[in-house]
Amino acid sequence: MADPRGFLKYPREGPKRRPIEVRVKDYKELYEPFEEDRLKRQGARCMDCGVPFCQSSSGCPVVNLIPEWNDLVHRGRWKDALKALHTTNNFPEFTGRLCPAPCESACVLGINRDPVSIRVIEWNIIDKGFEEGWVEPVLPVGSTGKCVAVVGSGPAGLAAAQQLVRAGHQVTVLEKADRIGGLLRYGIPDFKMEKWVLDRRLDQMQKEGVIFKTGVCVGVDTNLDALRRDFDAVLLAMGAEQPRELPVPGRDLKGVHLAMDYLTQQNKRIAGDTLQGEEISAKGKRVVVIGGGDTGSDCLGTAHRQGCVEAHQFELLPEPPLTRAGSTPWPFWPMKLRTSHAHEEGCDREWSISTTKFSGEDGRVTKLHASRVVFEDGKIVPVSGSEVEIDVDLVLLAMGFVGPVKNGFLDSLGVQYGTRGNVEVDEHFMTNVDGVFASGDTKRGASLIVWAIAEGRKAAQGVDWYLQTGKSIRTP
Amino acid sequence: MKEMIGRVDKLKAQKAVDHWKAKGLDLSLLLTKPEVGPEVATSCIQAQDHGLAGILDNQLVELCQVAIEGGEPVSLELPIRNLNRTTGTVLSSHIARRYGSEGLPPDTIRIKFTGSAGQSFGAFLSKGITLVLEGESNDYLGKGLSGGKIIVIPPPNVTYSPEETILIGNTSLYGATAGEGYFYGTAGERFAVRNSGARVVIDGTGDHGCEYMTGGVVVVLGKTGRNFAAGMSGGEAYVLDEDGKFRERCNMGMVEIESVVAQEDIRTLRAMIEAHLGYTKSANAKRVLDSWEIMLPKFAKVMPSDYKRVLQQRKAALAKEHAQREREVVNRG
Repeated sequence: MADPRGFLKYPREGPKRRPIEVRVKDYKELYEPFEEDRLKRQGARCMDCGVPFCQSSSGCPVVNLIPEWNDLVHRGRWKDALKALHTTNNFPEFTGRLCPAPCESACVLGINRDPVSIRVIEWNIIDKGFEEGWVEPVLPVGSTGKCVAVVGSGPAGLAAAQQLVRAGHQVTVLEKADRIGGLLRYGIPDFKMEKWVLDRRLDQMQKEGVIFKTGVCVGVDTNLDALRRDFDAVLLAMGAEQPRELPVPGRDLKGVHLAMDYLTQQNKRIAGDTLQGEEISAKGKRVVVIGGGDTGSDCLGTAHRQGCVEAHQFELLPEPPLTRAGSTPWPFWPMKLRTSHAHEEGCDREWSISTTKFSGEDGRVTKLHASRVVFEDGKIVPVSGSEVEIDVDLVLLAMGFVGPVKNGFLDSLGVQYGTRGNVEVDEHFMTNVDGVFASGDTKRGASLIVWAIAEGRKAAQGVDWYLQTGKSIRTP
Repeated sequence: MKEMIGRVDKLKAQKAVDHWKAKGLDLSLLLTKPEVGPEVATSCIQAQDHGLAGILDNQLVELCQVAIEGGEPVSLELPIRNLNRTTGTVLSSHIARRYGSEGLPPDTIRIKFTGSAGQSFGAFLSKGITLVLEGESNDYLGKGLSGGKIIVIPPPNVTYSPEETILIGNTSLYGATAGEGYFYGTAGERFAVRNSGARVVIDGTGDHGCEYMTGGVVVVLGKTGRNFAAGMSGGEAYVLDEDGKFRERCNMGMVEIESVVAQEDIRTLRAMIEAHLGYTKSANAKRVLDSWEIMLPKFAKVMPSDYKRVLQQRKAALAKEHAQREREVVNRG
């Protein structure tokens, strides 16, 4: 801690979002740059706590060395800060942009002041690292001669692949989509993370020896028996893509879409692809997003940029308090109202509301019918006489995910599922099928990118243990 | 209990502040009660994971059950890594719980480790446990040693000379109260700091050796770093001073340096070096013993002045008492 009084001298600061009227005209990232001197002062706010709760179980899942690099940034030792950051986190440029930062809500300074701007510091360390050319391929010392297949190329799969290739194994990442990246590529809108950020990291991984194969849907184009011919172990990191559905009358009407279909299409559009099938656009439309989470917010942001005329967001749960609820005290992740950039850009938010029906004309949705609800004994009960109707042209369903897609490949493997429907693993992240591992959302259900990275790293350790002890699933 | 957690306002600090050492201390900042509501947890709300589930000692306790329960000898050989910290400490706790500080007979449990030991190897080791480490160790080896025995030897066929190589890290034997140690190699800084009873032999030490020592015996068969015996108020140290420069490296603030002449001292020194040779096969120990007559005069005995005075007074008082009793016996007769 270079400045023991830093937290008393400087207020919390961070980069500003670009003006609304400017940013909704493009899909570029939201934030303006943040001057280096001001960032160094933010590093000085860190108190280098005896018990750094930012690194506790309520804080950073990859246990980033936060107090260390806060201090290094304050001292201007950027290269050392980068080194410290990379020891725990393969992809700080993803988490620096996208993480909701449980480290900050667990920051000790947050008890009676604003917490340290940890996320922004992380983000700047890694972006500077790339700018300066400090992020180079890390080549393994030797080769083990073992081959690993990683199914899925989201953050969990990528983190595991990078760890495994650096340990000297030959790693092949199999991705069903046409490009690598999973949700980072086709889930996260460009205004939150432009795709060159992903590409420069993939470039490093390729130079480290990771083999990427796109357009390979495991279970369709290949199966476990086929994988056994080429690989010694398999890691499932295929996400939790099964969306929660809304089984109400009118669900099949045109204009009612799943959030992921909508977001993926826009990302492909920005990438310059020719779209196949029905195009979904919010241009000139009245839009209702159902689901009050981050995916819903991403849909809103996209709709604004496409030029919607009205935006609403419906959430089943009641409106959370403005500040941290007493039920989630510091250092826990707080239950509180979160207002995203997309809400700033314009949105009518409705709480405690449940959609009961869609109706339309000529097969297209024109009305959403809903009812106010209350919670009674843990059950959602509609309030009689509270029915409402709203005119709508586009409905986007962003109600979360219920787990990994099971029909087909997962079921055919015979992997065991837990009570929440996710794939169960042992302490080595191995499923009940020998040599088949699982990590990320496939194992824990839809969660944060930082958890995917944390689990990808741990699963890589498990796979490495399996291979180093001489085990293999390979058929002779 | 829950009601009292965090109620620093209920603490009475008067008594401590009245103490002459604490006079003038302002505790108000320390005893400030943060102004926070229920949205901030100020007491334990979730259990901490101390990472004890997978530690090496769990395995040791299991393998040493017959010794812990029936005092039967156990001999083991195991690998060790620097991830294994405070090795032998939980095992010691099982012995201490059952047998107290008396422990078990010497060498009841003998474990030979091969590899690099992590921090605090053999910390608080109980009587009856002997740990042999073939390899090297991180800091805090034998911290609070409580009667156990620790032997560290270099792996066979090393190309370096152990007498000139640091084999055990810093701050070994911190606050050791009893037990023995034999180290074929040298230690980092602050070797045997605050030792109050352990008897140890080593081939060389870093700076600040025997700092604040209050008891026990330390034999150094080679060079020490600077500031040896700083604040040393008890115990004794024997240092082989072959270059004649030990006096410059010793902090003379509280100690005196003497030759080793008393028969009792010579016996102690020789016995400890012989044990060192026996346990570690130290070539250095062999060299010293082989030419004992030439080497003995080169030993400097480091003796805390006040400690020496007290020992002398005690000896004199004892002699006086002894003479008095003899006179009484004669008179009665």
